[in-house]
Amino acid sequence: MKTISFRKLTAIMDIKSRTLFSKNFIIMPIFSLGFTFLMRVLYKSILGEAAGTMTAYALSIGVLMNICMSGVYCVAASLAEEKEKHTLRTLMTSSVNGLEFFLGSLIPAILMMMFVNIACVFLSGFSMNPAQWAGYLFISTACSIAGAIIGMIFGIFSKNQMSAGTATTPVLLIFMMIPMFSQLNDTLGTISGFLFTGILFDAISNIGRQTALLSIRSGVILTAEILLTVILFLMLYKKNGFDAD
Amino acid sequence: MNQEYLVLNHISKKFGSKLVLKDVSATVHRGEILGFLGPSGAGKTTTIKILTGQLKPTSGDAFVLGKDCQKIDESIYEQIGIVTDISGVYERLSVYDNLKFFARILNVPQKNIDLLLKRVGLYEHRKKPAGKLSRGQVQRLILSRAILHKPKILFLDEPTSGLDPTTALDIHRQLLELRDEGMAIFLTTHNMEEATKLCDHVALLNEGVIVEYGTPKEICLKYNQNKRYQVQLTDGSFHLLKQNPEDSRLLASWIQEDRIETIHSCEPTLESVFLEVTGRKLQ
Repeated sequence: MKTISFRKLTAIMDIKSRTLFSKNFIIMPIFSLGFTFLMRVLYKSILGEAAGTMTAYALSIGVLMNICMSGVYCVAASLAEEKEKHTLRTLMTSSVNGLEFFLGSLIPAILMMMFVNIACVFLSGFSMNPAQWAGYLFISTACSIAGAIIGMIFGIFSKNQMSAGTATTPVLLIFMMIPMFSQLNDTLGTISGFLFTGILFDAISNIGRQTALLSIRSGVILTAEILLTVILFLMLYKKNGFDAD
Repeated sequence: MNQEYLVLNHISKKFGSKLVLKDVSATVHRGEILGFLGPSGAGKTTTIKILTGQLKPTSGDAFVLGKDCQKIDESIYEQIGIVTDISGVYERLSVYDNLKFFARILNVPQKNIDLLLKRVGLYEHRKKPAGKLSRGQVQRLILSRAILHKPKILFLDEPTSGLDPTTALDIHRQLLELRDEGMAIFLTTHNMEEATKLCDHVALLNEGVIVEYGTPKEICLKYNQNKRYQVQLTDGSFHLLKQNPEDSRLLASWIQEDRIETIHSCEPTLESVFLEVTGRKLQ
């Protein structure tokens, strides 16, 4: 079992935070926040007072975008950038172990996603009681973790930022578009029920309708998907390290 | 105290069916520079990767600071420094912040950073983003990152490749200083002048095999079979004399008549030895 040095972990978190706040990456959470606010403004201008019912939808869209773009894409591209600039190997030959790099990379990304997930609530105008907040924080954090680990998996196979973008785009479209259009088509609705983003989308709608956050089926699927993601990552990491080359 | 910092015992390495290192043995002691000299593809970088635990040998044993290279973990990197042609720097960070980041990782006091920057000639550029440095400045930064924690062993893979002569000379000076301070240095290069100048011992590597091993002078003299002397006379003419009675008499007469302007022995260089042994050029 690898040990974790707190000193090294905080150093990596520091450098990864700076990366996430660089102009290449910060645009993603800003876009999610901006889009959420734009949806709220648009619904208000179209529906007037009735727009309140659509705030859950605006929030769902913002959180979905955040998890896909700040989670999957940014984590994948940030790992790919380390390879492209040859800093990953430099880090690994400077006494940093895989677990320290993994946690040091994921923690800032997940914290940033959580911050944006919370900010999206206020920007969408969606109101929740404390119990609903607890449910929302639980489901959005769980899905943020899943998204970040999926990003890490794509990062393993991406040689540079461009290939990370190319590889993640179709996946992002699936994770984002299918839940977004799930209410327009039964087949998409069925598929959406098997995606962690679809389950998140439904959970936010359930909070808006003041019904149970998750069905047992959705809870099982979500847990299984998160576990599967972690297992897949561990298998790939064991085989390739952070670099599939 | 064991002064053998690096030991390679009959190391072989195969990639698929291709044997890239064949029965390579060498030792590097404290305060010594060993040069692995060979053309591209000779197996120099593979040797460094085996010694630093990034690759496992197919057969043979390698030890770094007494530890089996196949059993080392990341803690060994607290005692060794590595400079390769693909060592990276964080381009968004300043020169100082790059070193500060690695100082945190390697538990080095931050007060050492300014001293190091002055030593490598980057102090005046400490606030500049690493992405805006010249190639030579980046290489100085990579070197300073590698020696930041005062490692016992420094691995250098083609450290001056593609650098301007001034930067290369400056890096040479620093490497000699580090050696004199007791650091063991494992250097790969295809630059025979660099190897002759810096290395206490060199191994000439060709297609994964060490074809010669010794001090640069020993190796050159070993192949100095046909001794020759280049003479420039006071009238401006050049003559190449061989080691035989006739030329010796001629040389003696020129000396007696005070006709010699310059005289040089023509022993082989590492480059010509390599060419003689392998039939290949170094570059």
